[in-house]
Amino acid sequence: MIALEQLSARAGSFELRDVTVSLPAGAWGIVLGPAGAGKTTLLETIAGVRRATRGRIMLRGKDATALPPESRGVGIVYQHGYLFPHLTVGENIEYGARDAGTARAISARLGADALTGRSVSSLSGGERQLVALARALAPNPGILLLDEPFAALDPRRRARVRAELRRMQRERGTTVLHVTHDFIEAGTLGDIAMVMENGALSQVGAPEALFRKPASGSIAEFLGMENVYSGTVQRLGVGGEPEIGTLRFSGDGIELIGVGDHPGGVGHAVVRGEDVVLARQQPSPSSARNALQGRILSVAADGVLARVTLEVGATTLVAIVTQGSAQELGLAAGEMVVASIKATAVHLC
Amino acid sequence: MTLGVAGGAVLLMALLVLPVGALVLRGGVDGLRQLVVDGELQRALGLTAAAATMATLVTVLLGTPLAYLLARHRMPAGSLVGALVELPLLIPHPVAGIALLLAFGRASPAGAALARVGLGIVGSPLGIGLAMLFVSAPLYVSAARESVARVDQRFEDVARTLGDSQWRAVRRVTLPLAGRGLIAAAVVMWARAVSEFGAIVILTYNPKVVSVLSYDRFTAFGLDAALPVAAVLVILAVIPLLVLRSLRAGAGPLERAP
Repeated sequence: MIALEQLSARAGSFELRDVTVSLPAGAWGIVLGPAGAGKTTLLETIAGVRRATRGRIMLRGKDATALPPESRGVGIVYQHGYLFPHLTVGENIEYGARDAGTARAISARLGADALTGRSVSSLSGGERQLVALARALAPNPGILLLDEPFAALDPRRRARVRAELRRMQRERGTTVLHVTHDFIEAGTLGDIAMVMENGALSQVGAPEALFRKPASGSIAEFLGMENVYSGTVQRLGVGGEPEIGTLRFSGDGIELIGVGDHPGGVGHAVVRGEDVVLARQQPSPSSARNALQGRILSVAADGVLARVTLEVGATTLVAIVTQGSAQELGLAAGEMVVASIKATAVHLC
Repeated sequence: MTLGVAGGAVLLMALLVLPVGALVLRGGVDGLRQLVVDGELQRALGLTAAAATMATLVTVLLGTPLAYLLARHRMPAGSLVGALVELPLLIPHPVAGIALLLAFGRASPAGAALARVGLGIVGSPLGIGLAMLFVSAPLYVSAARESVARVDQRFEDVARTLGDSQWRAVRRVTLPLAGRGLIAAAVVMWARAVSEFGAIVILTYNPKVVSVLSYDRFTAFGLDAALPVAAVLVILAVIPLLVLRSLRAGAGPLERAP
């Protein structure tokens, strides 16, 4: 397990601040966040190659804050691999391995065994990542830190390596902390996800909860939510009126009814594009608490889906619909439509 | 514009090449002949090479850890240490000889202690080596520091997460990756040590190194007597030059991509 208590560290002028989080043994943790948020600094501080300026690092229940990297039992894989260029691929993989047999077995499982006789300079970016992964796994570390380790792999190999790594992690009971910008990866691999912003953790939770209920407007925007509005939240139905528990959001030229536990005041309304239902006319009757008339600005194909951008009042609203629906409804720029959003699909934060 | 630049380049090349060319043309053949028959020249060459090699080995041994520290650690006094290491480069070499005489001559406590164990620096090969080290070690430390700094720290970090202690990671990863640069630095230092005159002549006129022998023959017997010895020094300088060029030609992919 990894437990960080108010962990702080410096990297040049950048500061990692008061990170407190716990990852149970054998769990796969995902770290998300914009570039420069401190994700790599966090991994390096846990690995011990960067000194903590404050706080505590507990690894497998023991205080490892002052331990040198070689005594922590932590493996790290950087996005660029950092393979030793003066060694062959095989020598790289065997570098920290207990024996050559283990290194060979791991290479074979990850599909890197065909590369072992080659020089590092002859490898592609994806092959480098594969070898770096095998090298980090060869000493059988109890904790594995991954910094975008699949970014350079082609989609087919990425899926295969991801699945194999997940199997190996379960077999060995390895605790993994994985930095990624790939939300699909975060959703499929992660047991716990955390978002970092400006050197601090801003949200921790199950990946689906994080994507459903981002803690702030900036997190929602980072996670790619299509509709994020800033404004004020007003609690309705105070004093036993029928609207108990509902909230009204006003801001950015739009009004929405939502539900939740927002205390009221300044806040953000977040609506996923998939939760916006489009119709040519006002659907009646409907349980949706929000029905907004708008004019289509654009319809953009995105695989089997279509991204429809509407002008609603003084703002825009994005709906994600299937290509089939878009064709059936005859959605095209300039057409008027009604967008329906259930109150439960409006997340206020 | 282009013509002016080319003209300037030609002029500079002429200034650099003409004296050396004239020396080799006038004294080269005779110098190579004397290399075979002149016992004093042979002894001077042997002494020069041995003293320069010893000075270089000692500097590599002591200077590499210093270069590593200066490259890797931001010490509060790091820039001061760096400046102090480079200071001998800025001192006129006879002044360097005088400073060495003051610090390690018989009248100094250090010199007296060395003399008691039979290691006097005045008039001895030890003094020659010390003078060579003083004036040329800064070249090694500066170039070695650059070589280590070019090796990304993360290579070493990864090695440590794979179980290496810091020293083991330096030995297995950093030094091999910086190796070519370290060898080049040592070659430059050795070449500079071989050509040293000013500091050596203050400490040790006899036994003579080649540069002192060349000066001695010039002052005692004139230009014609000095030419062959001087030409031999120039011809020998080609060896480190060739080594450096071959090191540069074979530079690996180290710094290009992690």
